[in-house]
Amino acid sequence: MPVTFQSIRFGTVEIEPADVLEFPFGLIGLGGLRYTLLDRNPGTGFLWLHEIDNPALALPVVSPYQFFADFELEIAPEDQERTGIADLAGTQLYVTVRATPNPLDITANLRAPLLIRDGRGYQVLNIHEDAQLQAPLFTLPAAAKIAS
Amino acid sequence: MLILTRRPGERVVIGDEILVTVMSVSGHTVRLGISAPAGVPIYREEIWLAVKEENRAAAAAAADAIPARPPAGRAQPPAAPGSARGEESAGAPAEEPAAAEPAKPPKAS
Repeated sequence: MPVTFQSIRFGTVEIEPADVLEFPFGLIGLGGLRYTLLDRNPGTGFLWLHEIDNPALALPVVSPYQFFADFELEIAPEDQERTGIADLAGTQLYVTVRATPNPLDITANLRAPLLIRDGRGYQVLNIHEDAQLQAPLFTLPAAAKIAS
Repeated sequence: MLILTRRPGERVVIGDEILVTVMSVSGHTVRLGISAPAGVPIYREEIWLAVKEENRAAAAAAADAIPARPPAGRAQPPAAPGSARGEESAGAPAEEPAAAEPAKPPKAS
């Protein structure tokens, strides 16, 4: 039987039970125990991580590999122990996004990615030295910068 | 707030399962050892605050906050998993002066 929930952004949403993601520890500072990924912006690479039991709680997310070719993940040892995830085999990886009207101001949080495996999700710390808290998702080409 | 005075090697017990040990004190630096069940997340406060702020900022996005199409001139719009690519991707002019591109475009495969 489909799962139906309310969203202040998208109205009534219906998903399959298999699309319910349990977040045993919630998101840092936001909580939430049951989320799902909604593809409401096809072709953009953006998904919405929506809390099922909170109509107002939803975050845009993207796959870091689609925007950051040299993205690297180094999961903190305590997070490996807590989540049971030490490598990315069979794991979906997303990062949260600060969406702004100007695309050039949109940033992704590479320091605290989301790992999803077997219907469970975790927000972990990426301790890789290059992981930025606010990594610009888009940049102007060098030529445009010079011309401007 | 409960305030306790401890010496190096002494501990504080929180509940039945969390042990905080003062490992060493050097000048203004205190090294703590924390033993807690695997299910208890432990963060340095500044990291926890920063990630919380990023999460809250992300959660403030309106439904129409996502770019309707990739910024003009972007070489390759990333495809959402399981979704078709939009028609906006192919026709963007390469010479668009305000063209934007992925911050670090993926290498060609």
